[in-house]
Amino acid sequence: MFRNQYDTDVTVWSPEGRLLQVEYAMESVKQGSACVGLRSSNYVVIGALKRSVNEMSSHQKKIMEIDSHMGIAIAGLTADARSLAKWMRNECLNHKYVYGESMPSKRLCDDLADRHQRTTQTYVRRPYGVGLLVGAYDEATGPHLYQTCPSGNVYEYFATSIGARSQSAKTYLEKHYEGFDNTEKDELIMHALRALSGCVQGDGELNKDNGSIAVVGKDQKFILIENDELSVYLDKLDVEGGNGEGEGEGGNDGDAMEES
Amino acid sequence: MSTLSFSLDPTAAQTTPSQRTQYPIVTGTSVVGLKYKGGVMLAADTLCSYGSMAKYKDARRIRTVGTNTIIGASGEYSDFQSIMDTLEGHTQDDVNYDDGHKSDAKSIHSYLRAIMYQRRSKMNPLWNDLVIAGSGFLGYVDKIGTTYEDDFIATGFGSYLAIPILRSKWRPDLTEGEARALLEDCLRVLFYRDCRALNRIQIAKVAEGETGVVSEPYELETNWEGAGFESTKGGMEGDGGW
Amino acid sequence: MASSGSGYDLSPTTFSPDGRIFQVEYASKSVASSGTLIGLKCSDGIVLACEKLLANKMLVPGSNKRINTVSKTSGCAFTGFVSDGRQIVNRAREEASSYLDTYGIPVPPSVLADRLAHYVHYFTLHGALRPFGASMVLGCYEEDMDEASLYMVEPSGQVFKYFGCAAGKGRQGAKTEIEKLDLSTLTVAQGVKEAARIVTMLRDDGKDKPMELEISTVAAENNYVHKPCEKSVIAEAEKWAKEQIEEEEDMEEDED
Repeated sequence: MFRNQYDTDVTVWSPEGRLLQVEYAMESVKQGSACVGLRSSNYVVIGALKRSVNEMSSHQKKIMEIDSHMGIAIAGLTADARSLAKWMRNECLNHKYVYGESMPSKRLCDDLADRHQRTTQTYVRRPYGVGLLVGAYDEATGPHLYQTCPSGNVYEYFATSIGARSQSAKTYLEKHYEGFDNTEKDELIMHALRALSGCVQGDGELNKDNGSIAVVGKDQKFILIENDELSVYLDKLDVEGGNGEGEGEGGNDGDAMEES
Repeated sequence: MSTLSFSLDPTAAQTTPSQRTQYPIVTGTSVVGLKYKGGVMLAADTLCSYGSMAKYKDARRIRTVGTNTIIGASGEYSDFQSIMDTLEGHTQDDVNYDDGHKSDAKSIHSYLRAIMYQRRSKMNPLWNDLVIAGSGFLGYVDKIGTTYEDDFIATGFGSYLAIPILRSKWRPDLTEGEARALLEDCLRVLFYRDCRALNRIQIAKVAEGETGVVSEPYELETNWEGAGFESTKGGMEGDGGW
Repeated sequence: MASSGSGYDLSPTTFSPDGRIFQVEYASKSVASSGTLIGLKCSDGIVLACEKLLANKMLVPGSNKRINTVSKTSGCAFTGFVSDGRQIVNRAREEASSYLDTYGIPVPPSVLADRLAHYVHYFTLHGALRPFGASMVLGCYEEDMDEASLYMVEPSGQVFKYFGCAAGKGRQGAKTEIEKLDLSTLTVAQGVKEAARIVTMLRDDGKDKPMELEISTVAAENNYVHKPCEKSVIAEAEKWAKEQIEEEEDMEEDED
């Protein structure tokens, strides 16, 4: 498994100018279950597949509200994501207290990326092993979708996906994203579910227990759509015959104990 | 016992309470502001006093922040300068972030509220009463963090002398010229009755959809022939007391 | 790698027997393999230009900037690890604003460049840190001289003042091209086009890979305020650049 002697510390450059520990941290994002995000000119939708450890356990929460104008979907180490979410919530609250308005999302994501970066340059900390999809609606600039990485990179997308088997979602989104601009909220949710359904593992299917969707947008505060509320959309998906037709990419059961 | 307020022995505990800004030193007096049809306007004189001495006669107390906000300040002038330095830093931050988000008058007002309240809670206030104006917005923050928004606002002596005038003369449909004349009237009365006021003033406005502008200082016409000024002796001429 | 390994290349605090610090060299490698970045000091200002490779077509155009404003009259561009580069940008902004607060005048470019170099250099001195994987080019107005100047800070902490400089993948070719320009007479307006031509020309074989060109100026015509160029200006420069490149290629073919 050891590739070389340059891959055990975050602060060591390999002779090729790579940071292997950071690259490994990026891998942990791919172990987490899939998340998708997409936006129209008025809304952002983020969606995620939830995992449960076994039959008796509940599904691990994948989407978190940060503020009434912002939410995140997480892939990777859940505990890392929770501490980042706590920090993000604090930043939003502070900003609202000081400026009397919502935190501009790009500033928060840039600051978040800088936080990630600092862990990659000091010996004492490890990089965060989690990738986030941040969906936000800013009064001044409209809807935004960002992806953050353990490396400290942050990207803004029209649509994207992260996590295990997320390539099939990406393929779906790449095919359709150019038409999203004037799409209504419900149709955007359907796109998210169609993208997500391809990421389900093995012979499983997207259902009201493992699916999770959140929306935020113009005159639309952050809402989480799960369980029975999600069934409405899943029924539509069934009618289309879209569910369970995911292009499975082979098992990646792994040890999902801490990743979700 | 040493009479020094500080100890030369670095290991000794501080024996006297630390002194912070307990009073202002160089001060500006009232700022008056109002909304009119199509904009917001502020006015203030250009005097800064050192106690009761009229020391600086060209102290500009209304300034722009970014492009769409104007701020007028009464109270300690150095604190106002420091506040403006901070706000200019914020304006540059907005440019640097390059995310299409700009601080407007409302958020600057909120920011100043947070700062003023924090400073007073540390018993170290910034000694100013501020009036913040922007497109469709007119707000007030004082040295203890009190805030309010209104159609017309006055600080300092203005809250006694200008507010009654504004209450009787202000209308939401004032034209720009009427608004300016009304503010000049307020400042004229303030000059007559407030010993820390001057007849050299500046007017500033933020008209809807336009950038904020602050006028060059100019002098108000005054008339001291009024009966109130003529008979200040209360009919007691010749008694030697006046 | 000639003399890598042997345990002398695992920390910035270790010298190799022949007096090299391998970790700093490795960090520079990460810069050498990323997007081309050039800076030109023209007769009436500075031009910064940078190629940004796009990993995916769904990325929002204009996001994830490589060129950033530092203060009113200074801007910087970086290449290498983007997250590292952003850290240097943040530091540059802090230095610029604290200098302005303290001295009441904009930070002189030499001082800003020097302080950034110190910052970057610090990360080459400690075992618990790693050197930055990014090079930064700084374009900044100099009040005393009434002209703008150009600096480049490298991962080693070295800094030089330049007439023209380049970093990233295409730096060698870019240097050759820059040397052909007459920078003493070239205006910023022309410089923007030439910069577009050089960066476009040096894109490697995968020319179809999506990329975005970023250009900014610190120019006399804008009172030396740092301004990222408008999309339309960049598009025009790119169009001109492509025409030039095609012309050149045609001429070469003729010669053959």
